[in-house]
Amino acid sequence: MLELRGISKSFPGVKALEDVSVTFDAGEIHALVGENGAGKSTLMKIITGIYRPDSGQVIHDGTPLNFGSYRESLEAGIDIVHQEIQVVPESTVAEGIMIDKLITVPHTGIIRWDEVNKAALTYMRMVELDIPPNTLIKSLSPAQKRLTQIARALAADARVILLDEPTSALTEHEAENLFRILRDLRARGVTLVFVSHKFEEVFALCDKATVLRDGRVAGTRKIADIDSDELIAMMIGREFVETHLGRVNVNRERVMLKADRLTRRGKIHDASFELHEGEILGFYGLVGAGRTELARVIIGEEHTDSGALSVNGAPARIGNIGDSLYKYSIGYVTENRKEEGLFLEDSVRSNISVAIWPRLRDRLTRRIDQREEDEVCRETVRSMSISTPGLNQTVENLSGGNQQKISVGKWLAADCDILIIDEPTIGVDVGAKDQIHHLIRALAEDKRKAVILISSDMPEIIKLANRILVFREGRIVGEVDDVDNPDKGYREISLAIGEFLK
Amino acid sequence: MSKETAAGAPQALEQRVLVSGRTIGLITAGLILFGGIAIVSDTFLSGYTMFVLSRQVAFFTIIALAQAVCLVVGGMNLSVGAIGSISTVMLGLALANAGLSGWIAVPLAMICGAAAGLANGLLITKLRINSFIVTLSMMFILMGLRSGISGGQPYAVPKSFGYVGQQGILGIPYVFVIMLAVLAALSYMYRNTVLGRRMLATGGNADAARLSGINNDNMIICANVLSGLLAALAAVLWASELGSAAPETGDSWLIVTFAVAIIGGTGLTGGVISPYGVMMGGIIYTLIRHGLIELKANPYYMNVYIGILILLTIAIDRIREIYGEGKSK
Repeated sequence: MLELRGISKSFPGVKALEDVSVTFDAGEIHALVGENGAGKSTLMKIITGIYRPDSGQVIHDGTPLNFGSYRESLEAGIDIVHQEIQVVPESTVAEGIMIDKLITVPHTGIIRWDEVNKAALTYMRMVELDIPPNTLIKSLSPAQKRLTQIARALAADARVILLDEPTSALTEHEAENLFRILRDLRARGVTLVFVSHKFEEVFALCDKATVLRDGRVAGTRKIADIDSDELIAMMIGREFVETHLGRVNVNRERVMLKADRLTRRGKIHDASFELHEGEILGFYGLVGAGRTELARVIIGEEHTDSGALSVNGAPARIGNIGDSLYKYSIGYVTENRKEEGLFLEDSVRSNISVAIWPRLRDRLTRRIDQREEDEVCRETVRSMSISTPGLNQTVENLSGGNQQKISVGKWLAADCDILIIDEPTIGVDVGAKDQIHHLIRALAEDKRKAVILISSDMPEIIKLANRILVFREGRIVGEVDDVDNPDKGYREISLAIGEFLK
Repeated sequence: MSKETAAGAPQALEQRVLVSGRTIGLITAGLILFGGIAIVSDTFLSGYTMFVLSRQVAFFTIIALAQAVCLVVGGMNLSVGAIGSISTVMLGLALANAGLSGWIAVPLAMICGAAAGLANGLLITKLRINSFIVTLSMMFILMGLRSGISGGQPYAVPKSFGYVGQQGILGIPYVFVIMLAVLAALSYMYRNTVLGRRMLATGGNADAARLSGINNDNMIICANVLSGLLAALAAVLWASELGSAAPETGDSWLIVTFAVAIIGGTGLTGGVISPYGVMMGGIIYTLIRHGLIELKANPYYMNVYIGILILLTIAIDRIREIYGEGKSK
């Protein structure tokens, strides 16, 4: 049992946690939810000894812990499985699992690899990791890496395991497998703290949920007693239900983008579709089903092996992203905003205007018109309600939701006719998510753009799209039309999508 | 409304190529050094000393910029000195052996530097070899070429060729004026032109730059050509100052370029440069060298101080980053 009593923590200018008291029982999976900035990460860092609380206590099985370091918390049997997968890529699975207790020849420090591998196998069996223990970690899939991390926690005899967004980068099937293992651990009396933005997971897996809001506990509830609307209301402090944004006004006469049997060996096969003006076309499927891959072929990030593409009725040859952007006015909002979407150490201004510098250039002096640049940026900041102290603000210091808005805003500023938006709300809190949804909607509705929305979040895609293409194993396996019909319920559409995935 | 004003405030220039708090720190350090030396020495404040020192500043700044423009795109150029040397040989061949005028010889030397930079850039981008390896190999190749071609002997240059390197206007060396022009041009480029800002973007996050429609390869090639040009410029100015084209010109450059560029606030991982900061780095470097001479310190220990200085500047940056504002989360 892990008990937090009256934990408070301040940083210069910010009160991150205030009087937080939670009890995590042994043999329970306890969800910790809250919007970005609600204090979840700070709390995790206090439990694992990375931060010291200003006041309050962490009590583990009756003993108050005075954590000076991560090391000490590990020794007390508390381990964390981070959101970013933290493993040494060049080491073997066995080494990664046994890192804290490598078996050596007595008094020498020489490692006995045969023993280490054998011991690692025990823990690998517990998490159903069915590979040779001397496999290099870098060759594992994200799911296997995640399991390696959990096995490491088990090897360290962890009685409390904190899981920070453990299913990010995992497919649905892999996530289910992970859940089975977690339930198994629960049966062995391990305390599991589960941090996630995905409510379906919280409801499928957890026994209790504690909601943090603005650094305080908004409440702890048994999962059996509440539904997701109630949970959202606790998180954002207001009622909040919207499954549908209404009819999308599509101009079917005007085909903006047409793909004809596009193929990229090993990734996508014979993908054909049409995208119309004012349309929001959903690409639904699991991670790796070919949606992002198809987007990357369209924008010229990857070449095609066969098939043809036409933009606005004319055949298009897109060799690189410069072509896609400047010749065909196609923009792509990446799913990895931190790695590929943003210049984190750069200003809000540069992040928004990067794709339009050539347009802002004076033809004679070659100078970028700074006044015009600022104007475009301020307009983007305003229309997307990005909260930033100014255009000079470093993007790194903004919240995840604001970063995502900037990542989308770049293409809004670029005024592309066709916009491909890949997983726009991953790791974004509920409030910002809703704003981004309305923004995507407005792009199609008011600005008459053609939008492709790639998402694995079924409620999101059903809320926004008017037509959904279902992807499986690199192929478009089905199409669900008339998604925006207000007479159709969420259930009807989701069943229709599910039909194609069987 | 308050948000609007904040965004449109007068400091609405690119913060990463501007006089930052860091540059102010550098200026303070420079002033302290300057004041300190002025107190200790009675010859320091003479016009002649200032003339000689400002010429050194100009020289160190230009070679450091040759390094910095490569650091900005996330690479490096270990062959800056070698490019300087081969350009010097080219200059010597044109002036001494071919008897060409400076008006032809100097452009030839510059083309030679640019060509070496282009070769670096093409190898880095087209063969996808790391810039460390490419420029390390290029350093050996060019060093070998210059020794082979020149036989190690300096080339005599006409007396008139020394004009720019040795003379000045109103007590300011022409070399320093040229450096100021280079600084102004580079600052303008990084702040106001598509090319400059794209180079910063490439160095800041190459993946994000590519997905924003930027051709990273072209940016890296441009940076390397620019680096070659700057190295050749420094070589030409040095030959003019010396009154001869000495093949060993670039041998001692490499470490200095990194030192001055880093002290001047150039980000080692790319995306950040302050040309005027690099000049401050050049000033501080020059003052420390000169101060040690004035103090009659054993010159053999000189590099110890430079090493400590580099560590100190980086340490101050790190401390600011760790304990500074805005990193509280």
